[in-house]
Amino acid sequence: MLNYAEKPFDDSESLGVLNPYVREWFTKNFGKLTPPQKYAFKLICENKSLLVTAPTGSGKTLSAFLSIISRLFDYSLQGKLKDKVYCIYVSPLRALNNDIYKNLTRPLEEVYSLIMKEKGVDILKSNIRQVTIGVRTGDTSQQERHRQLVRPPNILVTTPESLAIMINSEKFVENLKSAEFVIIDEIHELANNKRGVHLALSVERLKEIIGHRMVMIGMGATLYPLDEAAKYLVGYSGEQLNDCTIVDASWSKKLDIKAMSPVKDMIYTKEEEIEDALYKEMDSIIKKGKTTLIFTNTRSGTERVVFNLKKRFGYGEGIAAHHGSLSRESRLEVEELLKKGALKCVVSSTSLELGMDIGAVDNVLQLGSPKSVTRAIQRIGRAGHSFESVAKGEMIVLNRDDLVECTIMLDAALKHHLDAFLTPKNALDVLAQHIVGMSLTKKWNTDEAYALVRNTYPYHTLSKDDFTALLNYLAGNYVGLESRRVYGKIWYDEKEGVFGRRGKLARVIYMLNLGTIPDEVAIDVHSGNKRIGSIEEEFLMQLKVGDVFTLGGKLYRFDHASGMNCYVTEAQTSAPTIPPWFSEQLPLSFELANNIGEFRKEFAGRLGAYIKNGKFRSPRTARIPKEIDDYLGTLPIDDNAKHAIFGYFLEQLLFCGAVPTNKQILVEATKDIESDTNYLIFHALYGRRVNDALARAFAIVLSDMLSTDIGMMVGDNGFVFSTEDEKLDMNDKLFDAVIAEIDATGIAQMLRRNIRRTEIMKRRFRQVAARSFMILRNYKGYKITVRRQQVNSQLLLKAAEEIDPNFPVIKETYREILNEVMDLPNAQRVLDELRNKEIKHKHITTPLPSPFSHSMITFGHADVVMMNERRTYLQKLHRMVMKKIRGADETDK
Amino acid sequence: MRLTSDVELLEGLPVAYIRSLDMLVVSDLHLGYEGAMANKGTFIPKVNLRHILETLGNALNMTKAKKIMITGDIKNTFSDVITDELNELFDLADFLKKHNVETALVKTKHDNFVERYSERMRLKVYKDQAELGNYLFFHGDTEPEIGDKTSMMIMGHEHPTIGITGNSGKRERLRCFLYGEFNRVPLLVMPAMGYFSSGVEVNAIPASELLSPMFKRTEIDSMRAIAVGYGSTVDFGKVAELRKV
Repeated sequence: MLNYAEKPFDDSESLGVLNPYVREWFTKNFGKLTPPQKYAFKLICENKSLLVTAPTGSGKTLSAFLSIISRLFDYSLQGKLKDKVYCIYVSPLRALNNDIYKNLTRPLEEVYSLIMKEKGVDILKSNIRQVTIGVRTGDTSQQERHRQLVRPPNILVTTPESLAIMINSEKFVENLKSAEFVIIDEIHELANNKRGVHLALSVERLKEIIGHRMVMIGMGATLYPLDEAAKYLVGYSGEQLNDCTIVDASWSKKLDIKAMSPVKDMIYTKEEEIEDALYKEMDSIIKKGKTTLIFTNTRSGTERVVFNLKKRFGYGEGIAAHHGSLSRESRLEVEELLKKGALKCVVSSTSLELGMDIGAVDNVLQLGSPKSVTRAIQRIGRAGHSFESVAKGEMIVLNRDDLVECTIMLDAALKHHLDAFLTPKNALDVLAQHIVGMSLTKKWNTDEAYALVRNTYPYHTLSKDDFTALLNYLAGNYVGLESRRVYGKIWYDEKEGVFGRRGKLARVIYMLNLGTIPDEVAIDVHSGNKRIGSIEEEFLMQLKVGDVFTLGGKLYRFDHASGMNCYVTEAQTSAPTIPPWFSEQLPLSFELANNIGEFRKEFAGRLGAYIKNGKFRSPRTARIPKEIDDYLGTLPIDDNAKHAIFGYFLEQLLFCGAVPTNKQILVEATKDIESDTNYLIFHALYGRRVNDALARAFAIVLSDMLSTDIGMMVGDNGFVFSTEDEKLDMNDKLFDAVIAEIDATGIAQMLRRNIRRTEIMKRRFRQVAARSFMILRNYKGYKITVRRQQVNSQLLLKAAEEIDPNFPVIKETYREILNEVMDLPNAQRVLDELRNKEIKHKHITTPLPSPFSHSMITFGHADVVMMNERRTYLQKLHRMVMKKIRGADETDK
Repeated sequence: MRLTSDVELLEGLPVAYIRSLDMLVVSDLHLGYEGAMANKGTFIPKVNLRHILETLGNALNMTKAKKIMITGDIKNTFSDVITDELNELFDLADFLKKHNVETALVKTKHDNFVERYSERMRLKVYKDQAELGNYLFFHGDTEPEIGDKTSMMIMGHEHPTIGITGNSGKRERLRCFLYGEFNRVPLLVMPAMGYFSSGVEVNAIPASELLSPMFKRTEIDSMRAIAVGYGSTVDFGKVAELRKV
């Protein structure tokens, strides 16, 4: 059962449960308890499983550890502390692990010296031992590992992958049998992905191996929904959810946040002026504070900002970049400097978003939209020395869609509306690894094993059929009897319902190939017979035939890909359909998208009251009416931003009389102002993952109905279909017919068929096949490069499809694409609401694209620092829109 | 599809039939491919042999031929005969025995050690090349010696395919025969029969990247590509033309 801790305990009550020496140390070093500590000390002492959510700098780590340290010193004073592991701490980051180690070493030493001072020689007589701590990750040396085997640390700090190896190490697992506590830190970074799913199975297996309950403690700074995280943390016993107490201290930190525009006019201000204003603004913020942390959304953006700040304002060594493409050494160096307070400013893409203590940052600046409330809070939460100080953050925005997005995002942050995370359910590839792992330790009854797996939250709804299909696959039952010796990873007797180890090789395979993070790959790009550069595989996966993208300053059309090569031809158009940072760009969350849709509805409603006969009626023309101004004043924005939002909505309303909302999809038939391209623009604000699914389904049905080829662009705010010659028209009847057609086949079925022959299918299949041990990266001394894996995986997919289209590895690939790359459940929800008219649709034809569609059709250029052509194009569009609005005005007169 | 008065390309199959010799010609079976891959850690479901037996069964039904010529690469590994290959070779042999067919093979470096089993397999093994009637069979990894009365040369080795981009923008790769001339003697290049031997797109890569030395001395662009797939066999015209689409 889950329950929420309602009231904090008194400080004296909390401290009263601690070991006296630990209590003395704590009171000496800290004046009082922080909010999470007021709950956690006592509850953990009572052996309650706990989910703690509290902001960075709120003493969260100690809130989890102090009671454990206290317990271990109790053991020590009783002379019964052994060379055993009592507490396992797991975090997703090695850097964070090293940090925890450093931060705990001090209290352990100081508490022990308090004891030494008082007990003197009794320490030896009574066998009062120091409580030990050790780190074990992929970086840990062989020597250190050996030492840990002989003398294991009482507190073991590790990663999910290392834990998975330890539970399968016959000797080391003995040391884990005394574990009483498991701490999972940064739980939001695990519970939402396959690494976390892997960890959940490891923990469940550990429980089974040691045969007793452990206290589970989960921690995270930004977590929603808390119930989901708690279920992930504690899992089930049979059908019964295990107990967990939820401590929500997440809003104890105050936020001072604002979205702002450096210029009044976001469309006609010259690019140089915008840049000047942008960097001046940044400079003044940096100068005011001691240390400023700047987040850009891309690695290239990070470099560009550092370059400009240095060039313009002469920041020398006081400013540094920190992102994933930099070497580990240079990142560590920057982190150290940051902790020492030696830097005036650090610019980062995403890499400093979580984890280790980065010292005193007093201001966070975000350039462009971070696309999710959770991420915004995580980033801004890096500011403020302690939980008591205010986290100060600014978002600088350079286009009007981003502005609306960021405004609503910050508003949601202030109102404590976080985005929901979702745990992947029933991922067959991760389970395949663990079944192999399980088979190594003993002979299993399949029902017993199935029950164990179902005790974890990610697999609680796993069907027996899927489980059995996996056993059959792992036993190599898809090949003839004589080959199973080689193909089989486990031994499985279906009749008896038992499985276990097959051969000596299985252990090596498991140890060398486990893990869930796919290898990164660079794809060579060829034009004609020339190699022109390379792109990331993630980027390639997003490309459809005919997509135009930039590489080395030129535009190329994607033709086809084969293995690790991508073939393109130089494109004659002026705009790319996929921006270069596309694979780095995170999709807008569904929740936030809905919030924006609600705002659109509310604001357009208020504004609509001032429009009569297609004209804006205000007491004083072109000024914001007071009521509207007051309403905008409730949002976290500056004056420039206020005007920009007001102008944006007004233009849309005057131009076509309709603003799309979360409950009304606007379908706009229009054409390009510079070419013969016809557009059908679906203003559907649901985020890219949902729109990806919706757009594909609509395109399949429409191109069938109209028997024409349709080009497609998908973004967060909607999707755009384009055709060259044929005009695309949409109306109520046709729209409903499309929905009916999608329903008839089922969107899942439709999408499955649609993605079957795509790049993303081939490549995700490779990753799933590697995770499922169907392609081994490391086998009998062979190390197979990703390049080879890719070649093989295409054959593999073809052959596997032929023997069984529901082969577990194929099934998992579809599941992953539909639920993680796309968002099928929410796409289905939108379709359902369209069918029962909760979401309406409205159809308009416009002589040129309406203001709200401008960023969608020029989407390829939508970077923080805009490209010139895009600005020119946008200005031209805008001028035409304004001419039309004024023209109507004039004839009216 | 009739290629000459004596040679027919069986509809939809990567198989040629020579009437005067009552003989099927196939090439590049690569038996044991999946087993070899599994030994390196990629566990491909076994479909190659099944496909080959199906195809041969169809071809034998269509023609009632009494002989089969394999122009090289019956199996996959150079240096040895691995267990999987042996099993599959024997399965193939049993199948052919059942159909009462005589089998001949032009041996290549993939076919090392097959002699050891040739008796058990009732396999007639030719080294480098075989001349039967007016036909010269060879693998294609080296140039053959052409006799005076040779009316057609037949080889494998290249695994030719053509790449075609369809209306929907998706590119498809189809196996094909190549038919043209070498030193003014008609030359037929066989498509690979192996399920996984997808080969290269001859209309996409430059001639210099082709495997066989034969194409150093003859213009592949002047050869015709006859594609096999979806149950039919279709002449797509000259490779030169296909490069343009």
